[in-house]
Amino acid sequence: MKLAGGKTDVDFCPYLDDAAKAILGATTRPPIRLVKLGIGERSFAVGEEFVLYRHEKTFYHPPGILFKIADTQTLDEIRTVTTRVRDESFTRVGADLRFNGIAIDNTSGSPDTFARAVETVEKTADLPLVLMARDPAALSAALMHCGTYRPLIHAATQENYKEFCALAKHHGCPLVIKGNNIDKLAQLAKDCTAIGVQDLLLDLSPESLQAFIVRSTNIRQLAITRAAPDLGYPVFLDASIMEMQDAAIALGIAKYASVIISTPLSPATARAALTLRQNIYTDPQKPIQMNPGLYRVGNPGKDAPVLMTVNFSLTFFTLQGYLESTRVPCFMLIVDTEGLSVLTAVAAGKLSEMLVKESITKFAVEDEVSHRKLIIPGYASPLSGRIEEATGWKVMVGPRDAAEIGDFLNQEWKQ
Amino acid sequence: MGIDVNFGWSSTIVKVILGATKSNGGTRRRSYQIGGGTTLPFLETTPDSSGPLIAFEICDDLQNWSPIVRNYCRDVVNDCGEWAHAADSVYGADMIRLYLTSTRQRNFSDIASVGKTVESVLSKTSLPLIIEGSNEPTIDSEVFLKCGEAGEGERLLLGTAEAGRYRSIAAAAMAYNHSVIAQSPIDVNLAKQLNILLKEIGVARDHIIIDPYTGSLGYGFEYSYSAMERIRFAALKGDSDLAMPIICSAIDSLTVKEVRDAEPALQDNIAVQWEFTTGLAAAAAGAEIICVRHPRTIPLLRKAFVSLKSEKIVAGGQ
Repeated sequence: MKLAGGKTDVDFCPYLDDAAKAILGATTRPPIRLVKLGIGERSFAVGEEFVLYRHEKTFYHPPGILFKIADTQTLDEIRTVTTRVRDESFTRVGADLRFNGIAIDNTSGSPDTFARAVETVEKTADLPLVLMARDPAALSAALMHCGTYRPLIHAATQENYKEFCALAKHHGCPLVIKGNNIDKLAQLAKDCTAIGVQDLLLDLSPESLQAFIVRSTNIRQLAITRAAPDLGYPVFLDASIMEMQDAAIALGIAKYASVIISTPLSPATARAALTLRQNIYTDPQKPIQMNPGLYRVGNPGKDAPVLMTVNFSLTFFTLQGYLESTRVPCFMLIVDTEGLSVLTAVAAGKLSEMLVKESITKFAVEDEVSHRKLIIPGYASPLSGRIEEATGWKVMVGPRDAAEIGDFLNQEWKQ
Repeated sequence: MGIDVNFGWSSTIVKVILGATKSNGGTRRRSYQIGGGTTLPFLETTPDSSGPLIAFEICDDLQNWSPIVRNYCRDVVNDCGEWAHAADSVYGADMIRLYLTSTRQRNFSDIASVGKTVESVLSKTSLPLIIEGSNEPTIDSEVFLKCGEAGEGERLLLGTAEAGRYRSIAAAAMAYNHSVIAQSPIDVNLAKQLNILLKEIGVARDHIIIDPYTGSLGYGFEYSYSAMERIRFAALKGDSDLAMPIICSAIDSLTVKEVRDAEPALQDNIAVQWEFTTGLAAAAAGAEIICVRHPRTIPLLRKAFVSLKSEKIVAGGQ
C-alpha cells in the first residue's frame, strides 16, 4: 500500500529480486525524478511533477530562476549580482518571491578564472549554483570550491558525457545533459544512468521559442504517461541565449521548465516573471483566502462607506486596489465564504444574509461608523432585500465590476 | 523512428473570419482567419495559421482608462479615429478594439453618436475591428444595432455577450453578418452554456469567439490560464460547443497595484511587461486574439509570436 501511495521506494524491499523491483519501480516512482540543487536554506528541488495541465492536480515544484554571470566579469560585478540574488525579495499575497541562485559561465575558458569566479560567489552567499563549462578541467577546478554544495553541472553531451559523469559522480552533483533531439537525449540519459549518475536535467537546446515549447511539452507528455521513462527528468532552459529572454522565461515558467537561467533581470521583468511563476504554481485546489475582518483603506472616519465582499484573496486585492485609487477612505468588510468568489459564493449559498449579519456583529462594524449603510457587490444583488431585513442596515448594490467602484462611490455614495 | 508522442486529439478549433476585404464585400485591407488548430498552441508543425493576433484597445470616453496610456499616446486619445489610425500605422496592431465607453455613462441616450464613432474609426483605419458596445440592457438593442449597421459588410467582431444579456448583440451580429464575443466568468462550463444559448438563437459556430475573462497577472491570471487550457483541451477532445477561438483581454493590467504604484521612471516598463507576460502566457494556453492597451507591448508580442511560428524543428518523436 505504501508503495502504491508513493510513500516508500521498492529499493528498500529486501525480498524482491531486481527484475521485480524494476517493474514495480517503474510504475510507482514519480514519472519525473526529483532533483535537488544546492544545500541549506536556499536549496530547492525540482521535478516530481505528474500532470500536463495545472488544473488536473497542481504543479508542485516551481522552477528555480538563476542569474547568469560570466567568469570574465570583474569580481565586484560578480559580487553585486550574487548579493542581489541573496537579498532581493518581493512580497505578494503573503509570500516572499525570490530568485534562486547563480549560474557561472566559463566564458574565459580558463580553469583558474572559472574557479576564482565560483569562489567569489561562494564567499558572498550560500546559493544554489550552476557551473556552465565545456572543459572538464575547468569544472574540476570549480568543484574544488563548491563540490560539496550540490551545484548543478552543465552540460554533458554525447561527446563528453563520460568525463562529465565522472565529475558528477565523484562530487555527488546533479548533471544537465544536452541535445536538440529527444530520441538521442533519451539515449544519453540512459548512458548516464548506466554509469551511475541518476540526478539529471534535460537541456533541449531550443533554436526558437517554438522549438522549446514543442520539445518541452512532448517530453512532459512522454514522461507523465511513462511512454519514455528515460525522459523522466526536469527540463533546464538557458533563457539568456534565446533571442527573446523575457519571452523565454515566461514560456519556460508556463511550459514545464524547472531550472531557468537568465541574465540579471530588469526590475520590470523581474516582477512580472516572479508573479507569473507564483500564479502558475498556485495550487488550483486551494483558493488563497484572506482572514475575514474589517479592513481599512486610508483613514476612514465615522461617516466612511462600508463595502462588504468575500474573502477570496483576488476579490479582496482587486477591490482594495481600486478603492485605493479612488482615494475615498473606507472600510472593507470581508466575510468568510471559504475563499469562494462572489458569484460562486452566492450560487453555492455560502454568502447569506446571516453570514453578513454575524460578520457585522463579530467585527463590531456598528462601533466604527455612525451610519447604517452597506455597499454589497453587484453579483450579490439577489441578497439585498434579505440582508436589509436581517441586519437592519440599508443596502446599496454596488457595481459587478470592481473597476467601476470609483464612479459608484463618487456618484451614489456622495449624494 | 524512435519515441512517439500522442495526445489523443480528435478534433479541431473552428475557423473564424475577422474583417472583410473588398472582394468579400467590405473595405478592410486584409482579413484574418483564426482557429483551425489541431493540437496544443504552437505545437503545430505544419500550420497555415497566422499565429495569434494582437488587438490594440481604444475607447471614446477616457474616464476609466489608465492614465499611463493617455500619457504615452498623448493627444490622439481624444479622437477615436486618430487613435485607431496611430494603432494601425504607428503602433503596428493587427486589429483595433474600440470600446464605446461613452455608452456606459449614466442615462446615455445619444445613439446616433455611436454610429458616427464607428464610422470614423472605419474610415481612419483599414484593419479589421472589434467593437465593444454598451453594458446596459435598456440601451443594448439600439447600440448594437447601430454598431452592426455602421459596420455592415465589414465582418466586425462585436462584444460582449454574457449569459444574462446576449440577445441584442446576437441579433445585431446575425442581421449584419458579424461575429460575437461570448464572455463567461472564468468557467469552462459557463462558457459552454453561453455558446449553446447563442447557437440556439441562431448564431453560427464560426461566428463566435470565446472570452473566458482574463484576470490580470497576479490577480487571478492563473484561473483564466487554466480556463483557456480547459477550453482548448475540451475542444480538441471533440466538444464542438467549446471549439471556438479564444480572446484574451486582461483589462485590469494597467490598474493593478504593481503598475499603478510603480516608480514613475519604471511605470511604462512595468505596464508593458505586465501586458506582455500575460498575453504571451495566454497565447500558450490557447488564446488567439491578444488585446493590449500599451503601444509598446505590441512589438514585443509580435517578436515572440514570430519565434513561435512554425518552422522546421528537430524534435525527435515526430
